[in-house]
Amino acid sequence: MNELRETASRLVETARSAGANDAIAEAIDCTITQVRFSNSQVDAVNWWNERHVEMFVAVGRRVLASDVRDMDRAEKIARDMVATAARSPENKSYGGIASGRFKYGRSKVDPRLASMESPSKFVHNAIAGAEAEGADNVGGTFFMRRVRTGIASSGGALAADERVSADLSVRAFSQPEASGHSVLCATTYSGLNARETGERAGRLAVMAKNPVQGHDGKTDIVIEPLFLGVLNQSTANMLSALRVEIGFSMYAKKIGKQVASKGITYVDDPTMDSTSRRLFDHEGVPTRRNTLISKGVLKTYLHDTTTARRFKTKTTANAGPIIPSQFLIAGQPVAFHPCVLPGDWKTDEMVSDTKQGLYMNNTWYTRFQNDVTGEFSTIPRDAILKIENGEIVGAVKNIRVSDNLLRLWKNIDAVSEPTQEVHWWEEATPPSTLPTVRIRGMNITRSQ
Amino acid sequence: MIDEDVANAVLGMAQARPGVSLAEVRLEETASRHLAVKASEVNSITSFVDAGMNIRIVLPTGIGFASTNKISKQEGVRIVRQAFKLAKNSAAKTSVSFYPEQPVRTTWTVSQKRKLADVTIEDRLSYLRGIDSAVMKTKVKVHGRYYELKDREISSYFTNSEGSRISSFLPRLSLEVQNLVSHKGETEQSVREFGATGGWERTEEWNLAKRLAEEVKMLRTQIEKGKRAKPGVMDLVCGPEVAGIAAHESCGHPMEADRILGREMSQAGRSFVTPDMIGKKIGSRYATVVDDPTVPGSYGYYAYDQEGVKARPRYLYKEGLINEFLHNRETASRLGVHSNGSSRSQYYLREPIVRMANTFVAPGDFEDDELIGSVKNGVLMHSFTEWNIDDKRYNQKYVSREAYFVKDGELAGPARKVVIEVTTPGFWGAIDAVSKKIGYTAAECGKGDPVQGMAVYTGGPMLRLRGVSLR
Repeated sequence: MNELRETASRLVETARSAGANDAIAEAIDCTITQVRFSNSQVDAVNWWNERHVEMFVAVGRRVLASDVRDMDRAEKIARDMVATAARSPENKSYGGIASGRFKYGRSKVDPRLASMESPSKFVHNAIAGAEAEGADNVGGTFFMRRVRTGIASSGGALAADERVSADLSVRAFSQPEASGHSVLCATTYSGLNARETGERAGRLAVMAKNPVQGHDGKTDIVIEPLFLGVLNQSTANMLSALRVEIGFSMYAKKIGKQVASKGITYVDDPTMDSTSRRLFDHEGVPTRRNTLISKGVLKTYLHDTTTARRFKTKTTANAGPIIPSQFLIAGQPVAFHPCVLPGDWKTDEMVSDTKQGLYMNNTWYTRFQNDVTGEFSTIPRDAILKIENGEIVGAVKNIRVSDNLLRLWKNIDAVSEPTQEVHWWEEATPPSTLPTVRIRGMNITRSQ
Repeated sequence: MIDEDVANAVLGMAQARPGVSLAEVRLEETASRHLAVKASEVNSITSFVDAGMNIRIVLPTGIGFASTNKISKQEGVRIVRQAFKLAKNSAAKTSVSFYPEQPVRTTWTVSQKRKLADVTIEDRLSYLRGIDSAVMKTKVKVHGRYYELKDREISSYFTNSEGSRISSFLPRLSLEVQNLVSHKGETEQSVREFGATGGWERTEEWNLAKRLAEEVKMLRTQIEKGKRAKPGVMDLVCGPEVAGIAAHESCGHPMEADRILGREMSQAGRSFVTPDMIGKKIGSRYATVVDDPTVPGSYGYYAYDQEGVKARPRYLYKEGLINEFLHNRETASRLGVHSNGSSRSQYYLREPIVRMANTFVAPGDFEDDELIGSVKNGVLMHSFTEWNIDDKRYNQKYVSREAYFVKDGELAGPARKVVIEVTTPGFWGAIDAVSKKIGYTAAECGKGDPVQGMAVYTGGPMLRLRGVSLR
C-alpha cells in the first residue's frame, strides 16, 4: 500500500513541478476473480488484474483527467498532461480541489478472505443449497475482489486503503417461470455463507411456483432489500449535485422539503463495515457518514469540492471517479454506501398486516420518462408473491410497477428492523444496506 | 504499436500446457479522448492510452480467462498460469468445446478522412458550442445541455492455437446529449446518443445543430399542445427509433444463444425462445429483423469478431419466423452449428460473449406517407423516452417522446406520453406494412458481468401495427 501511496505522491509532485496548480493521483491495484455459473454448473472463471493511476491536473482553470495505464512512462505522461492542460480551454466552473490536513481511518482486511483460493467451492455450495430447497436450475456469479489504492493530492491528501471482499449472486429456478434471487456481500471469510444464500434463492423459487398472470391497478407492495437496492441506484444518482445541476433529478430545488415518508432516514456511510467501505473519496478527502434524507426531509446533495463551491456549501466527501464510466457523468459526485436506517417492523409482520398486495423479491430495468417528476417504471422479476388477508397465497408474473419514484418513497409506511447489504450486477449498485419496506398504493400495469 | 511477438510467445506458452483444446490471445491498444460540455462550458476533458492483453484457455473441464494491462512476455507467463489453473479447476459437468472454424490470416481497418487524433480540443469544443448555440437560438428554455463527446481508436492483434492471425484498427466516436425543456412549469426530456465508426467527418453527417434545435422546439410543442391519448385499441405507426428499440429488445436479445442456453440467467436473464423454436412463428410476414455488423460506418461495425470469425448479416426473424440465433463458438458447439461471428468484448480486460451489432427491421416497399395515410384512427410514435422489457424478453413497454394523433390518414396534433405495453408476439404479429426508408440510432447495449457496454445501432423503417392497445 505504501508503494501505491508513494507512486501517487511522486506523480503529484511531477505534475506540480511541471506547472500544475492542482493535482490528484489515485494509484489503483485491482485483482478480481469471478466465477460465472448457470444451469447448475460453472461456465467460466475469469481473472483480471489492473495497475494504473487515475490522475487529474489543473493549470489555472484548465483541467485534464487521464488514466495512466503504462506505469513505465507514468512520469512523462504526468508532465505531458500538464502541458496539454495548459493548452486546453478553461473550465470556468472549476472550483478547485479539497485542501487541508486530513486524518484517515484504518483499512480493515480479513487475512483469511484475502488469501482465499478455490472460489469455485463456494459456488458449488450455493448450487447445492438451492437444489436442496427444491430448485432444479441455478445460476449466478461469485466475485472475489481485492483493491488496493494510494492517493495523493496537491491539497494535502496522502493515504492508502485496502479492501478485500466477496459477493455472491444466486438465481434459482424451480420451473421455467418460477425463480428466486438471493445475494451475499462479505468482508470476512466466516461471513461467506454461500449455502445459505443458495437455500434462500431456492426457497423463493419454490414459493414462486405456478405463477398466474398478474392484474393491473393499485396495490400495496412489500419489497425486499434487493428490490429496493435496484431502485436505490436511481435515487443515489439523482442525489448527486451534478445531476441536480443539469436538471435531471427529482430532487432539484427540494432541499428542506419532504421527499420520502417520515419513516425514511437515508444516509451514505462509507465508514461502516461493508464491501464498499473506503477511507477517502476520489479527491482524497476522508469519507464520513452523511445524512441525505432525515425523517423524509432532504438535507443535502452529494458533493465534491467543485459542486460544493457552486452550491455554496462544503464537500460531503463524495467526489466520484476521475475517469468517467458508462453510467456516470464525468466528474459526478457519487454515493459509496447508501443505507436506509432500520425501522421497527419484522418482515413477517409486514405481510400479516397487509390485506391485499404483492411481496416482491427483485426487479430490474428501471427507466424514467421524466427525471424531474420521477415518473418511471420497473419490472419485478423472480418471486412475485400474492398477499391476501395477511398471507402468501400464490405467485404472479408478467407485471410492471409504473408509478412515480418520489411517490414511492413517500408512500412507504413500514420499514423493517433487519437490514441487508445488497449488491447485484449493474442493477443493485452501489452496494447498499437496506431494509424490507411496504409501499402503499403502487400502480401495476401489464401487457395488453 | 502492438507487439505481435509477445502475443505469439504467450500463445506458445498456453499451447505447451497439457490438454488445451483451444487458446486465444488478444493484444489491444486504445487511445481514448473525451470532452464534456455543460451549458456551453467545459465540464471535463479526459485523454488516455490504454494497452493490455488477455488469454482464454479452453479445456474439457472449463474455460479460463485472464487479462492484464501490462504487455510483456513475463506478464504472459503469469496470465497463462492463471487462466490454465482456472479452466482446470472449473470442474464443468459437461465437456466444454468450441465449434471448429477455419484459421484466418488477415488485416482489417476502418479508414478516416479526418483522423480523430488530429482533431484538436478547440475544434471539438467549437463543434459542441455550435450545437449548443443552435439550441439556444430557438429561444426554448433548455436546461441541462450536457453534451459528452467520446472517441476511441482501437488497434488489436488476435491469434489462436488454430492458426488465426488477425490485425485490426477501428476508430469509433459517439456523442451523448441530455436536454431538458421546461415550459409553463412542466418539463420534457431528451437523452440521445449519436455514434459511428470512422473519422471526424462522421460528425458532419449527424447534422446535429439543426436536428437538436428542431427537437427542443418539438418538446416545447409537446408541453404546449400535446394531449393524452384516450386508452383503447387503435393503429400505431412506429418511426425508425421505435422500430429499432423493438428490434433490439424483443428480437436481438431473446435470439442470443448464450441467453437461450441460460448463461446470462442471473443477470440479463433468459429468453422466451428455446433451442427448438427455429422455424416457429413469432410475427406477421412483415416481421424480418436483421443483425448486421458489416453495415459500413455503423456504430456496431466490425469485420471479424473477437474469436476470429468473419462477420456477416444474421436474419434473426425472417418473414415472421424465428430463423437464426446469434452465436459464438461455444454456443454454436452446443447447438451443433457454425458460429455466425457474434462474439464481442468491450475491451481486453473482459471475456468475449455473444452480442448484437446493428439490429434493424428490414425495409419493405411502402412509402412513409402511405403508412400514415392508411390509418383512420391511431398514433404515429416517432421516438421514445421510458422503455423496458422483462428478462425473458416477452413483455415490453415504450413511452413516446414525440408522437402525433392520426385521424383519417392525416396528422391531427401532438400526442403526449403515449404508452404501448405489449408482448413480443403481440408487437411483431400486429405489423401489416413496412416502409422503404431505414433509419439508425446509436446506443450502448449493456450485458455481461461486469456489465460490458457495447456499441450498437438499432434501426428500421416505419412500421404500421394494426389494432394494438395504447394509452
